[in-house]
Amino acid sequence: MSKLRLAVIAAILLVGMAATGQASVSIRFEDGTFKVVDWSAPAAPPAKGWASIFAVYAGVGDVPPLAGTYTVEGGSLVFHPNYPIAPGVHYRAVFQPPGGGSPVEKTFDGPHQDKTPFARVERVYPSANVLPSNLLRLYVYFSAPMGRGQASQRIHVLDENGKVLQGAHGLFLPGEELWDPNYQRLTMTFDPGRIKRGLTSNQNIGPPIAEGKSYTLVIDRDWEDARGVPMVDGFRKSFRGGPAERNPPDPKQWQITSPKAGTLEPLMVDFPKPMNYPLLQRMLTVSGVQGGVTGTVSVDHHEAQWRFTPHAPWRAGNYELVVDTAIEDLGGNHIGQPFDIDTFERVTRHITANTISLPFGVR
Amino acid sequence: MRRITSIGIVVALCVAAALAVGITSAREPASPLANLTSGKVPLMSAGPLAFGPDGILFVGDSAAAAIVAIDTGDRRAPSSAAKINVQGIDEKIAAPVGVPPDQLLINSMKVNPISKNVYLSASRGRGPDAMPLIVRVDAAGKVSILSLENAKHASVSLVDVPASNPAARQDPRTLTITDMNYVGGNVIVAGLSNEEWSSALRSIPFPFKDAAEGATLQIWHSSHGRFETESPVRTFVPYTISGQQYILAAYTCTPLVKIPVSDLQPGAKVKGVEIADLGAGNQPLDMIPYAKDGHDYILISNSSRGVMKLKADHLEAYPAIDSPTKTNVAGVPYDTMTDLQNVQHLTQLDDSNAVILTGKFTGLAWAPGPPVGPLNLQTIALP
Repeated sequence: MSKLRLAVIAAILLVGMAATGQASVSIRFEDGTFKVVDWSAPAAPPAKGWASIFAVYAGVGDVPPLAGTYTVEGGSLVFHPNYPIAPGVHYRAVFQPPGGGSPVEKTFDGPHQDKTPFARVERVYPSANVLPSNLLRLYVYFSAPMGRGQASQRIHVLDENGKVLQGAHGLFLPGEELWDPNYQRLTMTFDPGRIKRGLTSNQNIGPPIAEGKSYTLVIDRDWEDARGVPMVDGFRKSFRGGPAERNPPDPKQWQITSPKAGTLEPLMVDFPKPMNYPLLQRMLTVSGVQGGVTGTVSVDHHEAQWRFTPHAPWRAGNYELVVDTAIEDLGGNHIGQPFDIDTFERVTRHITANTISLPFGVR
Repeated sequence: MRRITSIGIVVALCVAAALAVGITSAREPASPLANLTSGKVPLMSAGPLAFGPDGILFVGDSAAAAIVAIDTGDRRAPSSAAKINVQGIDEKIAAPVGVPPDQLLINSMKVNPISKNVYLSASRGRGPDAMPLIVRVDAAGKVSILSLENAKHASVSLVDVPASNPAARQDPRTLTITDMNYVGGNVIVAGLSNEEWSSALRSIPFPFKDAAEGATLQIWHSSHGRFETESPVRTFVPYTISGQQYILAAYTCTPLVKIPVSDLQPGAKVKGVEIADLGAGNQPLDMIPYAKDGHDYILISNSSRGVMKLKADHLEAYPAIDSPTKTNVAGVPYDTMTDLQNVQHLTQLDDSNAVILTGKFTGLAWAPGPPVGPLNLQTIALP
């Protein structure tokens, strides 16, 4: 919500409550500012500054006043908070008339907040029910912006006996929460120390997901959205451990199904194994003789099929599917390079932003 | 999980640079302050902090995928040794910005090496509309929120897409800056993508020139000398061993590695050495290398394994491995500091003291989340 919108809502919703002290002097909240009315403010502040006679507090106890600036407007002293008025906060404005007299104090509540739950988990990728034992990342899509800092409490994985996997046996890497800018997609990383061959954790505990075992991903309803309101429902997904995926994706094995000229049929690319869903959204593009072709991407068959529907009907001719070689499968392998390579068998340099092109024709 | 007290895994690292900028070759002008301009600081989020010369504070802005340098104007040396003790620091920051303490997330903490004042970066709010805060706490415990409305600053983008591009907001791809340090005229930045498994460690000369000027060093990380991964660096510190400058880097796949800075040249093959493996289900958060009573130590705070004190004498003697046979076994023993509990952030104050931010972790013992208040800020003697 923009600051302006918040301020407007605050101005409408803020309700002044019990005033005490001098009847003739009062405090109002107007357009995001706190104003002392019916008191003629001098042009110059008192020796100790305006804050010595008028301050607004958020919260209780011995805390500093709200940060802000003062102006004198039409003879009235006005306090402009540096930060927008927030829902759920109790504000206390205190004016101490210089030269004596009872202080004037007024309390305000921040804008009303709708506490109706509406957030839910929409999708989780990979979508398949059998996941490789070296699965590197899991993506959780929410229907509304969520609050940061709760993932470690709200996402659990249960083993086949319903027991929460924890401690060194926990599947996910603790620490950083990786969100998209709208806080609607969370990226969870499986503990790479257990995925990567040769590391102590991998040798001692094994990979996070064991082949043949059953698991349940559990996301708690108590996860609060960006407003601080819990979700409508929790989420559960059962899956089984499959074999590790250690071979880099090989575009030679991809099957391209060309659309017919003059139609809006999708171009279809079938992969022999599921691919990383977010990377499928942007690492495959279509180019024709006249440059890039615009269209919409959809992904199906548990991320093993990519479909591209053009905005305008296909014209007959030669096209290319342009593939960013950084595209990954579920094990973090990308084209020409597995997730972990045996350095004594081969030395491969990182391929930086390289692409390859797969030709296809539209007839 | 067994406790690892003596591990001798050696690491081979090779660096292939996409762009050609040497880390140690940048020249510093007499006053980098001259390169900053006054105005509104374009900060969208405030993450990792690092101090450069002359009280210049670098702020990692993950939301904008940028690094912002801000002149703190804080260049007066303290009259006496700083001893900070602020109880309920979260409440003292939340109140002036008008939110409940549970809507304040403290992201990073560093000490200004000139003034010894403590700087914190924080988020006002937990959602996408959270506002960035830079907070200064002086030795007397006075809390000041730095005004970002008009300050001398400079910024550099870490990506090709300008932050002002409206379409950028629709792009779900983000780069989370995990750590940042100023080393020899360069800001070295470690980051994690939310989509690709990327290992980019960027070296950006300061004063900033252009986004494209930053070198991207692709660091390869291996353990046991056999399997390599492009693993992202989670946290790192500059470190001098026998007069040579290193960075001590902790990877997301847990090992702690020393990398000679002089070797971080484009195209060079670098031999790094793993000095400890801190175990599964854990990430190192902050590190302080220091010397005490004639010995070298590294103090490490962790996401779920408390604060460790590594005995780091003779790190220069740790050999790099160059064959698949695991022969060069050596290791760094460590003690867990049981009297340092609930440490959220740890940073060095001076040669013999550190500052810690403590608070009860939320969540579960094995999966701690951000703390709940009250949070306390205090000076401790390095153990």
